[in-house]
Amino acid sequence: MGVSDEAVRRVVHEVITEILPAVPGDRIPGGAHLRDLGADSIDRVEIIMALRERLGVDAPLAGFSDLPDIDHLVAYLCEVTA
Amino acid sequence: MNVGIEALNVYCGVTSVAVPVLFEGRGLDATRLGNLMMTAKSVALPFEDPVTHAVNAAKPILDAMDEADRDRIELLVTSSESGLDLSKSIASYVHRHLGLSRRCRMLEVKQACYAATGALQLACGYLAAGLSPGAKALVIATDVSLVNENASYTEPAMGTGAAAVLLGDDPRVLDVDLGAFGTHSYETFDSARPGPTFDVADADRSLFAYLDCLTNAYAHYAEKVADVDFATTFAGLAMHTPFAGIVRAAHRKLAREHRLPDADVDFARRVAPGLEYPRLVGNLCSGSVYLALASLIDHLRPDEPVRVGMYSYGSGCAAEFYSGLVDARSTAEVGRMRIGEHLAGRCELTFDEYKRILADNADCLVPVADKRIDPGRYAEVLDRVTGPRTLLACTGVRAYHRRYEWIGAGA
Repeated sequence: MGVSDEAVRRVVHEVITEILPAVPGDRIPGGAHLRDLGADSIDRVEIIMALRERLGVDAPLAGFSDLPDIDHLVAYLCEVTA
Repeated sequence: MNVGIEALNVYCGVTSVAVPVLFEGRGLDATRLGNLMMTAKSVALPFEDPVTHAVNAAKPILDAMDEADRDRIELLVTSSESGLDLSKSIASYVHRHLGLSRRCRMLEVKQACYAATGALQLACGYLAAGLSPGAKALVIATDVSLVNENASYTEPAMGTGAAAVLLGDDPRVLDVDLGAFGTHSYETFDSARPGPTFDVADADRSLFAYLDCLTNAYAHYAEKVADVDFATTFAGLAMHTPFAGIVRAAHRKLAREHRLPDADVDFARRVAPGLEYPRLVGNLCSGSVYLALASLIDHLRPDEPVRVGMYSYGSGCAAEFYSGLVDARSTAEVGRMRIGEHLAGRCELTFDEYKRILADNADCLVPVADKRIDPGRYAEVLDRVTGPRTLLACTGVRAYHRRYEWIGAGA
């Protein structure tokens, strides 16, 4: 059984606030791209690498290139951890 | 048989702009400087192009060789994503202005920022095959930047210049571990130069591909080579450097994957020495990893044989991890090119000067039948270069044929 959407979203919010401390964890819109939250390209790399590590995901980073927003990021992480 | 790099030099222009000055001028967010990790970028003058960069990088190497050795250069390869003509190679102009033998093969190759490493490996294979004992090959990576304010945070990271790599059977700079390589390639559209005036790039796709390829190319290398340990096999790492921040992230990724206990200490010891020059120059495209190698050798200053790892990545994408030995001869050979001194001697431009030069450079690669370029227009900037330099300059184009002359710069 895969990890629930809710659990993945919680980890996503945790990681985002660790790397972008100025972003309030309880106010991260699902329709926003990491860029919209102020993440530069290195922040985005660090966020995705931390999520892969924390959720035990082996999928290549390339699979994360086209995700338009955080909702899609959560959905993709659920898919690859299933 | 030992084969590898006998001599290495870079040419990174004679002018630069400080990255914080560029950030301020463009209104970029200064809090991003920390992740970018870039200090300055080289800027070409409007009489410079991929030919002049290549010749200006290789000339000091050839000047240090006797005529008999120069005549043993039997292969000249230029690698570039700044081609000047769809048929005629940059190499043909470079061959002429370096005065190479007419018995020398010449060609130009392209695979974004990977191309020079591909050419180096093919040339090493040719030399190691012993088909022409004592032969040498000259691989020159040469590129110009086309980015302007439209490129946002990529603009401060793009450099200009060339790296010249002389290969042969007396590898005084890098004794390449023949057969010890790992490759990883597939088709993707992460960045490209669809025309002679602009680049297109997808930052996430490109950086993620760079990082995936590093893991996979290194894994392929480790499969092929016995007893490799990421923590202990390499005294230093020279990596393609689109900007220094991504190299730090790439090292952190490998450090996690290989369970290194203290990534920051390891980064400072084995990777940061190879970033000293790239941080002052910007991305040199396929010459970038060789600028990093020069930086690594000049700052590690090995006095006994140690192994270094090399990582090359080119958009599109193709990547390779390979290795070689450096020693005291490497320190002496790279040191005599005085690369650090030349970088420090560049004329530092104001933001307004930079903008004017950028505008004059915009059509550098656009084919035209005729034009004249007067290097004398830039005398005031050239006078501010520290140390006398003799440079090849493009003076124009006549019936599509590019014209070059030697000029003096610096005081």
